[in-house]
Amino acid sequence: MLDYRQLDWKLITATLALSLIGIILIMSAQYYADTDYQQHYYQRQIIWLLFALVVFTVVIHLPMRIFDVSAYLLFFITLVLLVLVLILGSSRGGASRWFSFGPINLAPSDIAKLTLVFALSRFFAYTKLPVISKRRLALSGLMTLIPVMLIIKQPDLGTSLVFFVILFALWFWSGMSPWYLLLILSPLISLVTASHWLSWAVYFVVLLSFLAFLKPGMLNSTVVVIFNLAFGIITPFIWNRMAEYQRLRIKTFFDPSLDPRGAGYQIIQSKIAIGSGGILGKGPLGGSQTRLEFLPERHTDFIFSVLGEEFGLWGSLLVLLLFTFIFYRAIRIAARCRSRFASGVVMGAVAILLFQFLINIGMTLGFMPVTGLALPFLSYGGTALVLSWTLIGLIISADYRWQEY
Amino acid sequence: MERYKISLAGREKISLVVVAIVILLLVVGLVKLQLIDHSEFLEKSESNRIRVVPITPRRGVVYDREGKVLIDNRPSYTVSVVPAEEVKGKTLPNLGQVISLDTLEIRKRIKKNMVSRYQPAPVKKDIPFDVVAILEEQNRIFPGISYQMERVRQYPVELGCEAFSGYVGEVSEEQLGKNKMYNYRLGSMIGKEGLEKYYDNLLRGNEGTAYIEVSASGQILGPYEGRKKIEAVPGSDLTLTIDLDLQRTGVEAIDTFCCGAIVALDPRSGEVLAMLSYPNYDANIFSSVIPESLWLEISSDSTHPLLNRPLNGLYPPGSTTKLLTVGAGLEEGLINENTTFKPCLGGMQFGNRFFRCWYAGGHGRLTAVHAIEQSCDVYMYQLGLKLGVDVMSRYFDLCGFGRTTGIDLPNEYAGLNPNSEYYDKRYGVNKWTQALALNNAIGQGEILVTPLQLAQFYCGLANGGVVYRPHIVKKISKSSGEQISVSPVMSFKLPFSERTLELLKEGLRLVVEGERGTARGLHNKYYAVGGKTGTAQNPHGEDHSWFVGVAPLDNPEIVVCAIVENAGHGSEVAAPLVGKVIRTYMDKKTRRENLARVADGGDR
Repeated sequence: MLDYRQLDWKLITATLALSLIGIILIMSAQYYADTDYQQHYYQRQIIWLLFALVVFTVVIHLPMRIFDVSAYLLFFITLVLLVLVLILGSSRGGASRWFSFGPINLAPSDIAKLTLVFALSRFFAYTKLPVISKRRLALSGLMTLIPVMLIIKQPDLGTSLVFFVILFALWFWSGMSPWYLLLILSPLISLVTASHWLSWAVYFVVLLSFLAFLKPGMLNSTVVVIFNLAFGIITPFIWNRMAEYQRLRIKTFFDPSLDPRGAGYQIIQSKIAIGSGGILGKGPLGGSQTRLEFLPERHTDFIFSVLGEEFGLWGSLLVLLLFTFIFYRAIRIAARCRSRFASGVVMGAVAILLFQFLINIGMTLGFMPVTGLALPFLSYGGTALVLSWTLIGLIISADYRWQEY
Repeated sequence: MERYKISLAGREKISLVVVAIVILLLVVGLVKLQLIDHSEFLEKSESNRIRVVPITPRRGVVYDREGKVLIDNRPSYTVSVVPAEEVKGKTLPNLGQVISLDTLEIRKRIKKNMVSRYQPAPVKKDIPFDVVAILEEQNRIFPGISYQMERVRQYPVELGCEAFSGYVGEVSEEQLGKNKMYNYRLGSMIGKEGLEKYYDNLLRGNEGTAYIEVSASGQILGPYEGRKKIEAVPGSDLTLTIDLDLQRTGVEAIDTFCCGAIVALDPRSGEVLAMLSYPNYDANIFSSVIPESLWLEISSDSTHPLLNRPLNGLYPPGSTTKLLTVGAGLEEGLINENTTFKPCLGGMQFGNRFFRCWYAGGHGRLTAVHAIEQSCDVYMYQLGLKLGVDVMSRYFDLCGFGRTTGIDLPNEYAGLNPNSEYYDKRYGVNKWTQALALNNAIGQGEILVTPLQLAQFYCGLANGGVVYRPHIVKKISKSSGEQISVSPVMSFKLPFSERTLELLKEGLRLVVEGERGTARGLHNKYYAVGGKTGTAQNPHGEDHSWFVGVAPLDNPEIVVCAIVENAGHGSEVAAPLVGKVIRTYMDKKTRRENLARVADGGDR
């Protein structure tokens, strides 16, 4: 039987606080909505929270080994689900991302995040391959790419980014030097800087001096340079093959005023909402941006804007503080775990939460692109809430069992 | 290979640093938005949801002197588009179908009239009411469309009031920029001519402001309570000195001719009783958007309907200023009531030119009053020679010619009163002779007057020399209930002694009642009329026909001046016209007096 006193109650409390703040914000965001259905989003979120707590309780009672031994099986099942959702999933706005069971929408991509963490953690925990061996990199990369390909097909660019972040985080956590990680990621930097030849040239000078300093060997250096060259050259081709809405998102990310009624509109209105909140905010239900529906997606992607408008700087900082606490606690736990698998799972969880946290809030503040990534614990959405609480459950569980190998 | 590995403690540290960087990034972003740029965004969020709606005040109604409505307002609907709420591919095509405009044109008008993205930009004015009903009933398919009821000026077309009413129109961008017109916005109506322009500040009132709250979809949620609505102050109503019956008589009388003007003044106060320019135009078309074709038609019409003849029509006065010539002669002591000159034999030789009298048979030897009665040119030539160009010019000036009357209407012309300085400039020093004085003496030559100036001069003759400044507004009724009556203002005195004035008045009487008077047709047994005919030669065609009438002559109450362009002798055309106006006036006066007598009798 679990010794409840040994659980990390501070971490649980912080998470619960975030979830409750989320419910308050959802209620406020849709209080003046047109339909009953919209007005009662918060009630559904409460039910989801209760369900998430049940899942959480189950997770902390399960031994870590269960996830360890079944990691590959779960991952395989997820891949099957991802294929099935492409065929059977309900589509909305041209994207089929969910299985619909009555009112419940189950997104297999959410589950895939979790099972990829399991699979990669298991792989890194037991592999004897050296940290930077090519087989190690290729195998782990392949494990990540399969779900990513399936999800990009849905299409869901934002979510697929999360999978790469999980991969990079676990590469790093399994011992890879961040400098080396940077070299691996360098082609991506090429991709971005290649939008202008000058920025690309400057970047290339930096890259070459970096290689001279790090001395990763002639062969590796050559590979890095070739990849960088290749990415820099193919950027225009990729750009031209992108869907118009994707290009627009990238363009309006750099300049929201380009499309004040479309993609830029959301960012502009979100910035107005948060900025007009000031230090003290306009009070619950007092946000005119929220109430008058200037704020789009206000109960999901832009829930932080509601927080910023109605509760101001102090409310926003409180939420940042709670998240900081969770991340700090989780990283300490990851470092303490004796089980390499458990440690990897905790780090993977941190990666998922931190990345979504950064991208989502960064988007509402106007310096991150509009990717459609929700804010963990606060945004409306059942499966996302259950997943987030599952991740917390795993962290708590890893902490409780930190001495187990 | 150890170089590529990192210890657990190192990894933990780096992870924590990454978290710290992420948090720091977000905190900086938050502080920038919520602390540094807070006020800017607060303003934006306010302008997001609060729409400032100007409330146009009711423009003042204009009445005639008896309280009959002359210029009124009627409701008119303007459809507008709120640019920020417009849905591409939906709003404009749907709207275009209803108001029959293509999308491109609507887009052009929005761009032209846009104040801010959140304020309605007018697209089409004066749309029919059934279109308004469609917009109202099916507002779902017209996102971002709003319409406003406004009042549009309504002018009486058939009364020829344009000469003094003027019209209103949208304030032009040029006007907005040039003057500091902070009270006007793009799309504001402003008086463009006539009393609409002169009294614009009184008529327009003060614009009010309403603040309404709107949702993102443009739905109006009702008044915004944070700011107090500023009520509009209606414009002042004006009661004019104009008598609609006289105005109507004038229009009906002049209707058979091509072009002309009538001005009727009350010599006792300077009140304008009637004023019209013919042909007139429909002032109503200027209140809304004028179709180009219509504008071309009006502005290129050879009869110049846009020319405001009473104020801007410049004509040689012809024989009508012979009284001035005689008056000047008497005042200068060159003649007296018995003085006669060489007899008129149908003309006279001066230098190498023969100056004809209008009556080829010759008038014989005449005294001053009879020279006026028969409008003898030869008498005037000889008197003009004695006076000389500059003395004549001085008298013209003292009688109000060559300068504006100061009537309360805009853009009045001063006319032209030539003197030797002018002639020196025009012909060169010593390049002209006193022969010009001969022309001036009979109201010909370079001298140009407006019908209003001529009427004003006769008011002075009728009123013992005292000239009141012509004015058209009798009473201003402010929306607060305050009433301001306009009292007559003395403008100047004619440079004639009482004795001279008496003689001139006798001349006026003889023109109508004398045996050989030029306007004997106006003689009647009910009231005494005086007047003077004029036949003004002009280089553009047939002579202009003038007549200025004064009635009742013993105690004048009305002076009517009429000119009919290119119509021939004053006695044949203009005199009967003036007679009709005077008759209407006298009939009304008699009726009024009879009514008063009956009322008095009832009391007893």
